[in-house]
Amino acid sequence: MIQKLVSILLVEDDEVDVMNVKRAFSKNNIKNELFVAGNGVEALDMLRNVINPLPKIIILDINMPKMNGIEFLKEMRADENLKNISVFVMTTSNEDSDKINAYNLNVAGYILKPLSFEKFLSSVATLKNFWSLCEM
Amino acid sequence: MEEIERNYKKELEVLKQEYEDFVYIVSHDIKTPMRAISNIATWIEDDLDPSVGGDIISNFNLLKNRVGRLESMMNGLLELSRVNRVELEFYEINIPKIISESIETLEDKENVDFLVINNLSNENVDTLGKKLTRVLNHLITNAVRFNNKEKKEVVIELNETAEAYEIKISDDGPGVPEAVKDKIFSIFYTVNSKDVVDSTGAGLAISSKILQVVGGSIKYETRDTGGSIFTFNWPKTITLKI
Repeated sequence: MIQKLVSILLVEDDEVDVMNVKRAFSKNNIKNELFVAGNGVEALDMLRNVINPLPKIIILDINMPKMNGIEFLKEMRADENLKNISVFVMTTSNEDSDKINAYNLNVAGYILKPLSFEKFLSSVATLKNFWSLCEM
Repeated sequence: MEEIERNYKKELEVLKQEYEDFVYIVSHDIKTPMRAISNIATWIEDDLDPSVGGDIISNFNLLKNRVGRLESMMNGLLELSRVNRVELEFYEINIPKIISESIETLEDKENVDFLVINNLSNENVDTLGKKLTRVLNHLITNAVRFNNKEKKEVVIELNETAEAYEIKISDDGPGVPEAVKDKIFSIFYTVNSKDVVDSTGAGLAISSKILQVVGGSIKYETRDTGGSIFTFNWPKTITLKI
């Protein structure tokens, strides 16, 4: 059976965090196409004008310049074409208020960016199990 | 006169808000480069030729350990700065239950004999549940972590008066030297070098701040047979002192 791999959009402003995700993908043998946007404005533009077909998964940082993750989520959920994409929030913020804001905008998961790369690897492995279901 | 007082109050409110914002921003923005250091160290280590000497590997471990310590310190500061926040935190808890949960999560519990003496008639209490749990976790963890005996003993005694719960946690560890007894509630203070016991020195500072906010109290005594006794009072009706 030939599996159709879904593409993934990573919205993240920190270069090392982007490298971190790429490295975790290759270590977990994840071959899905990965698009990267540096902030919410750029991500919306990519979703509306660049990436075709649309990604099924978005991995979203919260603290970003220009348009932060929560603002991006609000705008995305209001857009008929984009509102059904699964979003995983990935952030350093362990604040209850940030978590509640995110869950109120219907996110599929909330990943705390851990200090160690090993822990991040296992979070990404769990994520992969989820989006493999989207590929069936 | 009244106007002066009003102005002071206003100024205090502004300062409090500035302080909260400052801690939040600093701790989040500092975490990003900190994580980068830790991650990049891991990548370099991963990419190294396996034949490199043990010195390099042990230095990488030191580097990662120290960044880890920095992270724990930032988390400690962040927790301390949030002690004043009480939204979403009032709920009912069962005191003996959160104590057994706290014991369950300990890493070294196999080598510890726990004795819980429960004299409570009201085990369930509607209170700042998360904060009481934090205090219990910090004190129980400390009772085990700083104890250098192979077989350790921790006694937890639960008593109550009409107004408050009195919880006493004692251990058979080394205790706190008389000369530094007054310093143990300061943030980041540790009796030994942080290399002897890997600890941040934030737990007691956070616990004592929590007790101050809820209108309780905490004290330290040395046990007759050696070891520490921490006793704290948790009021049944909380009047916030923020």
